[in-house]
Amino acid sequence: MHERLSFHIKRDSVLHRLNPLTKLTLVLALIMVAFTSPWYWTPHLLFLFVIIPLSFIGKVFREFFFAATRLILPAAGFLFLMQAFFQPIGEHVIFKFYFLDITQESLMFAFKNAMRVIVMVSSFTLFLLTTHPSELMSDLTRRGLPGQFAYVIISTLQILPQIQSKSQTIISAQRSRGLDTEGNFFKRAGSLVPLVGPLVFGSLVEVEERAIAIEARGFTSKSIKTSLYEIADTSFEKIIRWGLIIIIILSIVLNIWL
Amino acid sequence: MLDKIKSNFTTQTWVLIPIAIAINVAIGQLVLVLKLPVFLDSIGTVLVAVLCGPWAGALTGALSNVIWGIAFDPGAFPWWPVAFFIGFMAGKMAEWGFFKSWWKVVVTGIVIALTAAIISTPISVYLFGGITASGSSFITAYLLQTGQGIWSAVVSTAFLTEPVDKITTAMLAFAIIQGLPKRTVAGYPKADQVEIEGGSDKNQMYIAIGIVVVLILFAAFLLRSILGG
Repeated sequence: MHERLSFHIKRDSVLHRLNPLTKLTLVLALIMVAFTSPWYWTPHLLFLFVIIPLSFIGKVFREFFFAATRLILPAAGFLFLMQAFFQPIGEHVIFKFYFLDITQESLMFAFKNAMRVIVMVSSFTLFLLTTHPSELMSDLTRRGLPGQFAYVIISTLQILPQIQSKSQTIISAQRSRGLDTEGNFFKRAGSLVPLVGPLVFGSLVEVEERAIAIEARGFTSKSIKTSLYEIADTSFEKIIRWGLIIIIILSIVLNIWL
Repeated sequence: MLDKIKSNFTTQTWVLIPIAIAINVAIGQLVLVLKLPVFLDSIGTVLVAVLCGPWAGALTGALSNVIWGIAFDPGAFPWWPVAFFIGFMAGKMAEWGFFKSWWKVVVTGIVIALTAAIISTPISVYLFGGITASGSSFITAYLLQTGQGIWSAVVSTAFLTEPVDKITTAMLAFAIIQGLPKRTVAGYPKADQVEIEGGSDKNQMYIAIGIVVVLILFAAFLLRSILGG
């Protein structure tokens, strides 16, 4: 059983070649503008005319589309329905169902909010599709992020599948011993301890060994470490990043102003 | 101050953090398999907070959300401050000696729950207009329909749903630490915080019960004053 733990897809495109920090700034700019822009249609336009074209430029439209339908649409759709039904604002009632009523205003409000969430989640998805986690981490380490943070992120992504398969093994083992994981509520709650116990104790015992192992490899050494891979960064990208930051500030200022 | 924080981040702390994050995720998924009405997705965070100090706990919480975002659902990113403060508060409570007996751990759980409720409310209101895609939003929606303001509806929902989850989390973390060999626990920077107190001390228990009652009354008072206004 092999579960893919990162969204990343290896392709050769302009978007893949961009420096990870530039892409991260772009994501931040898209989200900030979607949430702070005072114009109603901003998130919708951003999604249609920035994020979708970017997914074509990055040659990941197919994967982006699947991730969107699997992850984003159910959540955003649910959010839209909940908000359309339950926001008690507006007077122009369009549709009435017992005590629930959909007004024109609540519908518009729900549409905007769902679109904002879609912009947020889809821009992150696009970022993760085109950026390998270790590429991002080594670039950020080069810029001064402490190596320990990079260690935590990368090693968690490695440990997670191991712990998940361990947890599957423990569930099967305890079931074969007759543990009731599908009975009534109290039986299910009671079976939590025999499942959590072995999982946690088993994982925590490894900590000391791992600590000694990475200590022996110079984990806490203060000297500057060299990197095996060079990650390109042009001065043009630097200008783009500053441009994006100015757009974010402008959007926030406009939001406060208007 | 900075040196004190640094002394909590030993190599063993840095190694524990990824494992704690993985535990958060694995137990969170286990609970889904068992169909229990709790999240229990911060047991690892509380473990790190108690064993290695508040800042390590806060870091674990925040990175948990980042990892959850990278690996499963990018929608988890905006909630990182909640996890950050869950870890921080758990660590502070342990520093103040509230992780040494069952009753005190319950108090810790309640305090964590209140923290989580307070931090998550503005995120929920500003980002999602109060109604998120989680199941507990039905309660918020109901409260909104009864004519409540958005802030009071979201806060009340959080006050209703968080305590059960966070008390269970704190109790499980306590049980795990008590079950670990003494030699293993001794390797962490804050090992003395989890030494269990003598069982004969009844006064401690009464004080803890008193604190729980006061906290519940305070929460109820807060709720009423919000609901009334």
